[in-house]
Amino acid sequence: MADKKKMSVAEILAAARAADGKGTAAPAAPADQPAESAAEPAATTAAEKPAAPKSAPAAKPAAGGARPSVADILAMARAKKEAGDAPAAAPAAKPAAAAKAAPAKPAAAKPAAAVGGPKTGVQRDTASILAAARAGAKPGPVSKADAPTRPAPKPREPKPAEERAAPPRTVATVPPKPVKPAKKGEEAEDRRGFLQIALGSAMALGFTALSVTSGLFTLGLARFMFPNVLAEPPSKFKVGFKDGFPSGKVETKYVPQYGVWVVNGDFNGQQQIYALKTVCTHLGCTPSWLEAEQKFKCPCHGSGFYKDGVNFEGPAPRPLERYAIRIADDGQLEIDKSRTFQEELGQWADPESYVTV
Amino acid sequence: MHSNGFFLKDVAGFLGGYYSAIAIMNGIAALILWRKKGQVGWALVWTAVAVVMMVLASLALSGSSSMVPALPASVRGLVNNLSGPVLYTLGTVALLTVLFVFRKFFVRPMVAWAILNAMLVLMGLSMADENFASIVMKPDNVPIVGLVFLLAFFTWLATKQAVVNDERIAQGLPTVEKENDEKVLVWPDLVYTELICMVAVSAFLLVWAIFLQAPLEEPASSVKTPNPSKAPWYFLGLQEMLVYFDPWYAGVVLPSLVIFGLMAMPYLDFNKKGNGYYSIEERKFAYLTYQFGFFVLWITLIILGTFLRGPNWNFFGPFEYWTPYKVEVLNNVDLPQMFWVNLLDRPLPKASPGASGLVQAGTILLREAPGLLLMGAYLLLLPPLLAVTVFRGYFAKMGLVRYMIMANMMLLMLTLPIKMILRWSFNLKYIISMPEISLNF
Repeated sequence: MADKKKMSVAEILAAARAADGKGTAAPAAPADQPAESAAEPAATTAAEKPAAPKSAPAAKPAAGGARPSVADILAMARAKKEAGDAPAAAPAAKPAAAAKAAPAKPAAAKPAAAVGGPKTGVQRDTASILAAARAGAKPGPVSKADAPTRPAPKPREPKPAEERAAPPRTVATVPPKPVKPAKKGEEAEDRRGFLQIALGSAMALGFTALSVTSGLFTLGLARFMFPNVLAEPPSKFKVGFKDGFPSGKVETKYVPQYGVWVVNGDFNGQQQIYALKTVCTHLGCTPSWLEAEQKFKCPCHGSGFYKDGVNFEGPAPRPLERYAIRIADDGQLEIDKSRTFQEELGQWADPESYVTV
Repeated sequence: MHSNGFFLKDVAGFLGGYYSAIAIMNGIAALILWRKKGQVGWALVWTAVAVVMMVLASLALSGSSSMVPALPASVRGLVNNLSGPVLYTLGTVALLTVLFVFRKFFVRPMVAWAILNAMLVLMGLSMADENFASIVMKPDNVPIVGLVFLLAFFTWLATKQAVVNDERIAQGLPTVEKENDEKVLVWPDLVYTELICMVAVSAFLLVWAIFLQAPLEEPASSVKTPNPSKAPWYFLGLQEMLVYFDPWYAGVVLPSLVIFGLMAMPYLDFNKKGNGYYSIEERKFAYLTYQFGFFVLWITLIILGTFLRGPNWNFFGPFEYWTPYKVEVLNNVDLPQMFWVNLLDRPLPKASPGASGLVQAGTILLREAPGLLLMGAYLLLLPPLLAVTVFRGYFAKMGLVRYMIMANMMLLMLTLPIKMILRWSFNLKYIISMPEISLNF
């Protein structure tokens, strides 16, 4: 209670409950004895503490059957707080605040009460107070037709009238957990409403049409991923007879068109003709063949490869890749770029990756 | 190497103007100092420098190519022979360290002015070398030359203010920023300044674009890579990093870490000092870490990549001719090779071709065990170890999460210089080398 303006949730709820408990009596039985007796001390206390009455009671002249808005609850709570600072210490202040709140509190006269339910004097639980506060966004009289559809917390144990006069519970008391209100009727209506919204409205129709159209459009776009014609050079091409590749020669004339070096070289003691892919295994630049140094050297980051394609300097992590090569039916060497062979996976042992000289 | 009369005649006109500009610059400085009382000595010094510059300018414009002031061939040859990536990197680190340690001396305006003059003259003398000039005057390299001077200037400016503030704080005085409040109104002061700057910069860029045209090369081809093939200048540091790492690390992970690290800085920094004013003493750790990352790991690498990396990404001295036929032995091997073959004298663990996937994976892990253990120790053991030794105070102030982020960021940043040193000293290619799954580190 250090800060006067701030109130804990518990206090607010307690105040609301207190107001409920007292207030129910007012509209239901205005001449009721306990209610009047409660109102009397209220008047006296109010006179003593003129600051208190300002906030709450005046705020709510509109009486009959209105639900309390959040603002109401807070106002009441504040008024109570000012009137009796420590509710437990000064119990007399309690009824005072409650009675003051009473005219504002036909909320107490919940819809259920209006229909004549045994609601009066029931201690309201947290859920119902909050629900009421939320629903109270547009406070106003609840029609009779509307009333039964509203979820009403089950009355736990209706208290006898004389108990009402007793001082309300102290803040410290923790109310028992609320029983979940049954919601069957509402759910059924929701489902119906959904169907109505989904199929009935023109907006839904429009959105359905839009989503179907855009789905088809996307599918149509995806069709472009699979063209009927590919403007690519054939993956298989012939590079001439074996005699054209003398031992130790790196043929670079197929690089511009096909991106391949045809090499007659020695790999693991075996003389082979193989086709190396002209893509550096580091970042994909095209290395150049340096005849004087007998190595492939990449201009981007300085990777170097021996004539057999094995990396030995710079950052390249693995040897150059080989394309498939074979002797075609006419005796010429035929390179197939659709298949590659990687040394680190042991694929250079595959007889399709080279032609023995 | 290729300096000849034709080239020198071409460059002589430029050098004449260049030296004249330095002379005018020094003349203005002398005039300003002369008008201030008590700076007459310095005014005379800069007047003398201006006279020397006028002499150099007239020599350059004399019409005789032998008269153009240049560095002697022996000096140029010596520089070429000495320079290499190791000396370059260690040299720049040493230079920056000296500048930092003796910053109180170097931030004096007269010292800084002398250094600027020395830099300009050295540049002018080097420009008389054809190889140097052909690289420096390449239109897309000119910004890097500007970068060197601009960066030097702004670093000097900030350091000077920091040094002044540090002295004031030591004496218990308020900082300069607090004392003469430089706050101005957005309208009209700031907006007008911005407008004037915008107009001036646009005009400058227009003139630049007209006189220094972008170099056009032949149409791109997937099977032809220009030699040397260089990234845009601001990415040349990245390209240099790629020489030491696999692309996924130097091209993806490290740059992302740079960005994430910069984003994390405000959350890692618990030092409340230095807010709104320049200071080095009060935030030495933050200052040094940032300057190391920025200058050593980014700027010097850009300069290295721009001026000193030639065809085939070989290193060339500043006065060396860029020949694509330069032979450099750069053979390197992976750590498993070093460990199993060179150290234990055994063949690399290798699964037989028909072995099951599990056996093959196990063999690869065994082969890479030394590298994996090293990396694990580096990233998992070092942070706690540092927390109880060097960074004890930081750990206490930052808490576990922030400290671990900071420590790991720092360790990952340091992987770059460590890997560079390992490559130079041990010819180490990769610490972990698993080409089977394209994972190399």
